[in-house]
Amino acid sequence: MSFFIRCWRILAAAWKHFTRNLWLALTTVFVLVLALLSVNVLLGVNVLLTNAVRQLEDKIDVSVYFQANTPPAVLEQARFFMDSLPQVKSAQLLTADKALEQFKQLHANEPKILGALSELDQNPLGATLIIKANRTSDYPFLLEALKNPQFDFAIESKNFEDHADTINRVRDIGRSVQMFGTGLIAVFALFSILIVFNTIRVAIYTQREEIGIMRLVGASNAYVRLPFVLEGIFLALFALLVSAAVVYVAAYYVDPRLKGLLDGSDAGLVAFFVTNWWRLALIEGGVLAGLVALSSWAAVGKYLKK
Amino acid sequence: MINLQNVSKIYYPNVHGLTDVTLDIQPGEFVSIVGQSGAGKTTLAKLLIAEERPTRGKIEIGGWDITRIAQRDIPFLRRQIGVVFQDFKLLPRKTVLENVAFALEVAGVPGRRIREIVPQVLKIVGLDEKMERFPRQLSGGEQQRVVIARALVHRPKILLADEPTGNLDTINAREIIDLLQKINAFGTTVVLVTHNREVVNALRRRVITLSDGCIVADHAEGKYLLPV
Repeated sequence: MSFFIRCWRILAAAWKHFTRNLWLALTTVFVLVLALLSVNVLLGVNVLLTNAVRQLEDKIDVSVYFQANTPPAVLEQARFFMDSLPQVKSAQLLTADKALEQFKQLHANEPKILGALSELDQNPLGATLIIKANRTSDYPFLLEALKNPQFDFAIESKNFEDHADTINRVRDIGRSVQMFGTGLIAVFALFSILIVFNTIRVAIYTQREEIGIMRLVGASNAYVRLPFVLEGIFLALFALLVSAAVVYVAAYYVDPRLKGLLDGSDAGLVAFFVTNWWRLALIEGGVLAGLVALSSWAAVGKYLKK
Repeated sequence: MINLQNVSKIYYPNVHGLTDVTLDIQPGEFVSIVGQSGAGKTTLAKLLIAEERPTRGKIEIGGWDITRIAQRDIPFLRRQIGVVFQDFKLLPRKTVLENVAFALEVAGVPGRRIREIVPQVLKIVGLDEKMERFPRQLSGGEQQRVVIARALVHRPKILLADEPTGNLDTINAREIIDLLQKINAFGTTVVLVTHNREVVNALRRRVITLSDGCIVADHAEGKYLLPV
């Protein structure tokens, strides 16, 4: 038999199996969709937690308070030096006047503090350098970098020590979230693999008599097996499409509603699923199709021996 | 055409399906294999299509020694023997046309040839107007005729019918036996496994009688001798 005729007949048989066995196909697709959704929900939760931790990290900075009479050249030198470090995300210099303005805004509802401030003849605040690091683990390095003798003498105080505990806690949370999320995804992926394997086994079990009949009529093992394997791949692709639709609709629905939990910041679900759609489709579709094909191959083989 | 030499089949742990059976069936013969339940008729049929392997002895089909046939060669053997089963064994999700065509597809017959032959064979069995129906939409007799069409479509040298009338009423049974006789008249060797006394006696052809796994009678124009 020519290779192309054989391929065409196997493909046609697989498609007919799929369409004429619609209820069984839909039930199987439903289980496959649930398996894919459980993994995607966990991916989404992981993205959410990672973004939440990142936003917490974004709120962390080191404020360096300079003495009131520090020359602008020294201030600019400090800003330039810190900004040029690869560990620094941003280094913003607040002049003494701006620092005073911000201080007043911050304590607008505290008349005693504002009254005390108005008693003074001149601005008691110096300039402030606000430094944000790329990663929370970079802050100890930046504190060392601030000991540069070219501007160290002008620094009155730094507030990093106040934040050190918070920074370490956020770092710990970030690490835990990543570990827990990865572990949970792995566990769910394992459960999903077992569910998929058993679903396919049950689906093939219901068709075991047909497998025996095909053998009795003279079909070779490959001719019996391949339509089932291909049908499994159709089911996997169909399940992938359905779960992708559900995930994207859910992400678009949930994303804006989570802003309240993240101080108005974007939850990042839509961005994650849109940016990574081809990678997710390739990995999830590939793993699912491979798993279904393998399960079908093994399950049919059991009845071919009989 | 079919040659068995001292064939025995023992099922685990020690159940004798067949004991020392020797028989020779010539091309073009119509042979009925009869016997009560448990006599070994179905075991013999299963050995002929390599669904079972003999414990001892030698089986040859058309000169091919299938005693220790390799798993990968079984499909080739089955494409040379048409088989009709009591419980029909039709593929439920394929139409009548597809069920019959399947036997040709597995043998690699080109599509154009399949489209030519299958309607002709269905016409012979009187189902040319029901070829788009599924097995569940047919009566028992019609389903058995589909099975015969499937068994015939690749022009096998041997047609093995295992209790083909077992699930049919008298009229349908008669039609099926007539069909088998016509097929035999075209030169196909027919092996009919049955315990239907009326059918066997009406045929007046060779009858091999099995009892407890042994051949107890083999008559050229035999009758069903055993008590029902």
